[in-house]
Amino acid sequence: MAVIRDVMPAFELLQPTSTADALTLLGRYGSDAWILAGGLDSFDWLKDRIKRPRYVIDLSGIDELKGVRERNGGVEIGAMTTLTDVVRHPIVRDRYAILMDAAESAASPQIRNQGTIGGNVSQDTRCWYYRAGWSCYRAGGNICYADTPESINREHAILGADRCVAVNPSDTAPALIALDAEMVLRSASGDDRVVDAEDYFIGPGTDITRMTVLRPGELLTAIRIPGDWAGARFYFEKVRDRQVWDFPLVNVASAMVTSGETIQNMRLVVNAVAARPLRLVNVEQFVKGKPRNDQTADAAGEMAIEGAQPLRFNAYKVPLMRNLVKRAIRGVGEWATS
Amino acid sequence: MADTKYIGQNYTPPDLVAKVTGRARYAEDFRAEGMLFAKLLTSPMPHCRVRNIDASAALAMPGVKGILTADDLPDLGPNVERALTNEPFYAGEPILAVAAVDELTAAEAVEKINVDLEPLPFVVDPLDALRPGGPDARTTGNVWGAPMPGGVGPNAASPVKTIKWTGEQFADADEGRLPMGEPTEQWAYGDLDAGFGNAALVLDETMVVQSTGHHPMETRSAMAYWQNGKLYIHASTQSVAQTLPNVARWCGIMPQQVVLISEYTGGGFGSKGGGAVSTCIPAMLSKKLNGVPVMMRITREDENYIGRARTNMSGRTRIGFAKDGRITALDLFIVQDNGSYGPMGDHRSAGLAASIIYQPQAMRWRAISVLTNTPPRSQQRSPGPMQANGQRAKLTSAFIVEALDKGKQAFRWDERKAYSGQRRGAKVRGVGVAVGPHGSGSIGFDSLMTLRPDGKLYVQSGVGNLGTHSVMDLARVAAEVLAMPWEKVEVVWGDTGKGVPWSCLSVGSQTTHAMTRANFAGANDLKRKLQEIAAKDLGGSPDDYELSNERVHRKGAGGGLTYTQAAKRAIELGGKYDGHEVPEDINVMTKGAAAKHAGLGVMGVAKDNYPRNGTTYSFVIGFAEVEVDVETGKVTLIDYLGVGDVGTVINPRSLLAQIKGGSCLGIAHALQQKWVFDPKYGLMLSRRFHYSKPLTILDIPATMNADAVGLPDPETPVGARGVGEPPVGAGYGAVLNAIADAVGVDVFRRAPVTSDLVLMSLENKKRMHEPLRAHV
Amino acid sequence: MGYFLTFGHSPWGQQILTHVSWNLLWASAFAGVAFLVAHASYMVLSAHRKRHPAETDAMEAARPDLPARIPRHSGVARAFHWVMAASMLTLLTTAFLPIAGIKFAWVQWHWMAGLLLTTAILFHVIHASFFMDFWSIWVGPKDIPELKAEVMREFGHDVPGPKPGKYPLGNRLYHLALVVVGLSVIASGLTMMVRVRTPLFPRNPYLFADSTWGFVYVTHGMAGVALVGLVIAHVYFAVRPDKWWITKAMIVGWITRRQYLEHHDPARWVVDGNPKSQIPNPKFQL
Ligand SMILES: Cc1cc2nc3c(=O)[nH]c(=O)nc-3n(C[C@H](O)[C@H](O)[C@H](O)COP(=O)(O)OP(=O)(O)OC[C@H]3O[C@@H](n4cnc5c(N)ncnc54)[C@H](O)[C@@H]3O)c2cc1C
Repeated sequence: MAVIRDVMPAFELLQPTSTADALTLLGRYGSDAWILAGGLDSFDWLKDRIKRPRYVIDLSGIDELKGVRERNGGVEIGAMTTLTDVVRHPIVRDRYAILMDAAESAASPQIRNQGTIGGNVSQDTRCWYYRAGWSCYRAGGNICYADTPESINREHAILGADRCVAVNPSDTAPALIALDAEMVLRSASGDDRVVDAEDYFIGPGTDITRMTVLRPGELLTAIRIPGDWAGARFYFEKVRDRQVWDFPLVNVASAMVTSGETIQNMRLVVNAVAARPLRLVNVEQFVKGKPRNDQTADAAGEMAIEGAQPLRFNAYKVPLMRNLVKRAIRGVGEWATS
Repeated sequence: MADTKYIGQNYTPPDLVAKVTGRARYAEDFRAEGMLFAKLLTSPMPHCRVRNIDASAALAMPGVKGILTADDLPDLGPNVERALTNEPFYAGEPILAVAAVDELTAAEAVEKINVDLEPLPFVVDPLDALRPGGPDARTTGNVWGAPMPGGVGPNAASPVKTIKWTGEQFADADEGRLPMGEPTEQWAYGDLDAGFGNAALVLDETMVVQSTGHHPMETRSAMAYWQNGKLYIHASTQSVAQTLPNVARWCGIMPQQVVLISEYTGGGFGSKGGGAVSTCIPAMLSKKLNGVPVMMRITREDENYIGRARTNMSGRTRIGFAKDGRITALDLFIVQDNGSYGPMGDHRSAGLAASIIYQPQAMRWRAISVLTNTPPRSQQRSPGPMQANGQRAKLTSAFIVEALDKGKQAFRWDERKAYSGQRRGAKVRGVGVAVGPHGSGSIGFDSLMTLRPDGKLYVQSGVGNLGTHSVMDLARVAAEVLAMPWEKVEVVWGDTGKGVPWSCLSVGSQTTHAMTRANFAGANDLKRKLQEIAAKDLGGSPDDYELSNERVHRKGAGGGLTYTQAAKRAIELGGKYDGHEVPEDINVMTKGAAAKHAGLGVMGVAKDNYPRNGTTYSFVIGFAEVEVDVETGKVTLIDYLGVGDVGTVINPRSLLAQIKGGSCLGIAHALQQKWVFDPKYGLMLSRRFHYSKPLTILDIPATMNADAVGLPDPETPVGARGVGEPPVGAGYGAVLNAIADAVGVDVFRRAPVTSDLVLMSLENKKRMHEPLRAHV
Repeated sequence: MGYFLTFGHSPWGQQILTHVSWNLLWASAFAGVAFLVAHASYMVLSAHRKRHPAETDAMEAARPDLPARIPRHSGVARAFHWVMAASMLTLLTTAFLPIAGIKFAWVQWHWMAGLLLTTAILFHVIHASFFMDFWSIWVGPKDIPELKAEVMREFGHDVPGPKPGKYPLGNRLYHLALVVVGLSVIASGLTMMVRVRTPLFPRNPYLFADSTWGFVYVTHGMAGVALVGLVIAHVYFAVRPDKWWITKAMIVGWITRRQYLEHHDPARWVVDGNPKSQIPNPKFQL
């Protein structure tokens, strides 16, 4: 059977207008159904005819899944809120600027107008072997084409690899983890749950074919951000090949509370180095109570990359991650401590 | 030309509104009754042989109308690329096409076809093909030999040969020194040994330049149908007149049987120079299906493979400098990755460009053009000279010094240079300058225009409308010569059915030079005819008459004829005046077009026979300032200026846009654009558009500057030369030099210079990147 | 075929053999359970193969020289057995729980347990070859009379025939199956370690051609599935009350004199009457 790409095959398009209806449809069609948010990741798969769902459940008509609302001193962001709407929202801008920066650094303005935050955190990896439809581990096969002596793996993982060396490409994910957000999941079976953003993402060791804990039939309805870290000292930086329309090579997101120049508390997350965003708990512990200076930053940077295992073309990610962690602590430019 | 009214003035080209409002119709916008859609089945392997095609299940599907295979296409001769093949030379090469009532059905049909393929040896890295015992891209060999005697043009027919280098010659390859075995071509001038002997400093360096897909905005879609034995084809091409004979050849018919419509083309950058061979697929499918219209929209995925790419080159340069910086000797060896078809000539242009840019006292150029199982290449905007950044050519003119001086001042070079290399925080800046040269003009093409009783001048334009405005600019010359108000000039373009003259290929910075000359000739022919008609009717000699205010009249303010009257008289007079007699030396296509216009008014029709002494080259000097973040390796372009030495400026706004836009392509090559192959399977990994990382608007400074010295070329009557390519090398070289200025010359030896290369070199205090490997 | 084997596509679109179908796991688990049920009912219905108590009494009287505790498994051998058991259980759980839907990071545990098992088996092979009665566990032509007798006994006939030596024939047949399956799973498993990242050697999934890998994976899969059945059977034997004395020996190392005489043929398993031999002699026991 010959392969043809870039032509979307036919499927049944279902357009519910309420979460309840969406859940009913999910319950009815289970793993035959594909959840469609903004489509920026979905259409790639569909157009390439690699994923061939029989039903596509388009969430774009569900208004209750859109918008940013205040909730318990924090905010709740509907999963179908576009990245542009997240970026533009005054509460996000005033209290959670790190999320604004992260969301604004994603993709391109056109993509952000269409892409949703729920889709952004649920998106699949961009490993180019996997996305070309090669039958690798992640696609249910038994090989990783990206980690062989001949692979071109500049964008791949330096940490947490387990057979598969793909990375999570999301820019908003590390910011949300830094803000200690929670993911609200609802399911057709009524088995609703709320999971920490940190635990929403999974590595290949846990499930090599999935990026998140989302089970078939489950819907991410909202993301809740507590008030705890509102207005903290934030740092977000993303290094990429191009200034727009480009996934991160590595990104870092952190929220820090200081008293004077002493770090009281910090949450620090790096993405695009592993299959899931990595919260660097050991570094967080280490910097607690330390002065925010170059020494602390240097030591933290070295600590962050412990155990990193570069592949043939991605060794640069090790110093890059180290330097970004340093910067998250000591800042850069006008932020720099020295 | 002195005292010009149009030349050197900005204007709004007549096609602009249609383009910005979306009214412009590109090839895929056409629809016809009963139109079918075609989809391609392409090779999944980099090299294989089709053993059997079983399309029975596909053909049994409702809505599937037929398939086309290589067996349905005319044989174009040995080694010539055809639109479909039974021996794919690269993954993504079309094997067959299916026509169906819609694309969805066609795609499903493709999936139902079983093609039995026999894998054959393949190679994607040119050096691997040269290694002892290395695989060959073709069963017949691995390199293109030098063009055979008697061949004409840069890509004249060459033989396929087998050349392997020795293990010894590869000894230094791991250290990043390009092996230099037997070349297929070479030339030299001067005394190389003496040059190196006299040098105060001799460097020996290897640089690897990447390949990149052209990726014009519009893919090479086409729609075709047949009526009364004639092929009507809507295609996306850079050139109109020059594409017609190609389409005819691909379809095995006579040029007179083809009507080609291509009013708007969404870019080409050299990938659609003489059209695209794939456009014959809908034409041949339509022929097989009794002329029913067939549309073949090319997806971005297909375009990745069949859409052409720049040849990548690895160059090793031994270069000797005298104390004063003068280059005493240059020994250049190029291994060119020619891709799967060709033969390409970029390596030759690169050698020539090097001799022009660096002006060495002695130089040797050696090169080998290697076949690989990667998509076919074609010239990409500044093919060769960008990569070079031979024989010393005699140029028509060069005002590089003037351009350098102008740019140095405008760019505040000295001021910026003063703080380059200094580190502030994590940032360090650097400046760079480079000369982008490019051959910029051919000669000998035709012009055709008519001044009609409606008082308008109709200028037939046979070049393509690929976004550069030259398709219209050439008529400005006619308006100038004939003192015709621009509002009364109608440019007729984009449809060979309307009769267009034999024109240059809209490639290689040729058009402005070639077609201003041709139209200068054509307009002067028309002017002479007006003068003769006036003299016939009103007495005196033709030379007593001049043109102004849409009249031909006696010099001063004497009597004369209005253009309308003259046009009517021409029709009465017939013969050469209204185009019933045309010059012998014009091309057969121009003769056919003239016949269509004969009797419509006074005809200007002529071949460009103006003399030219020397080779025509244009130059752009690029000035760049970059900032490197040494903690991330990220390079940011801070400022850029391009200064052109391109002769007389015809259309300033368009010229400056060309300098900036062309520079952007070079900047992209310096910073990010590339393509990537998996060596194990020979498949392209950067198949998604964004993986190939073309430049974005945020990767360049918010304002980029451009200027031109505006000194006319003495060897062409209008003084104008082309500008399409020279800025590419200028942007590329200037940015690379600026990076080297900021972080040191040893940080990189390959492009693009992405943050990983920079960071790893700085971190390890030596270059860490793969030294010679292609396509990473 | 598709029921037993799974196929994938190479990046060139060619069909390649990738693995056994995990349906086989269920087949094997089913077989293991079926075996269990069948054997349990047989146990209820059939006669025991022990000597008559009278006969045993007589033998006991005749061999007062025998110590009260007959050493059966040396400490080393027991350590080996339990290490092997632990690694085998780890291997099976890490292999099959994820397939059964319980997801965790299993690969590292799996190959480390695999290495442990390999080391244990290497040790065992060397130990058994040089320090033990190597042939006592193998099955050969001389076992045919025993086989005959056992079969007759299975059918309820009280035939004289040979009693088992140190290892009953069933035991030895089981060992043989384990050798074949175990060596296949280990050889294929070690090869497959090249496909994943370990600190031991560079990862290289391209070491062999797709078809060779397919064979390796299928071997590993088949053997793994077979092991599930074998292990179920083994555990079943081990926990059966009437075999408890054997299991206990694997823990404590000895059996009683009476058990020795009752179940074994002293001619085929010669126990030295010298009381010193109470100290397990590594050359002799397992
Ligand atoms: C060229 C390009 C560049 C990009 N660059 C970046 C970048 O730099 N940084 C970055 O972070 N992202 C980037 N993206 C990704 C883009 O931002 C995400 O693909 C997009 O945000 C996904 O969101 P979507 O709304 O389009 O989701 P979709 O594509 O519709 O869905 C993505 C996935 O999530 C699932 N899903 C979506 N919503 C839900 C839900 N509510 N509940 C359960 N499952 C759900 C879908 O089933 C699907 O599997 C880029 C994308 C493209 C195409």
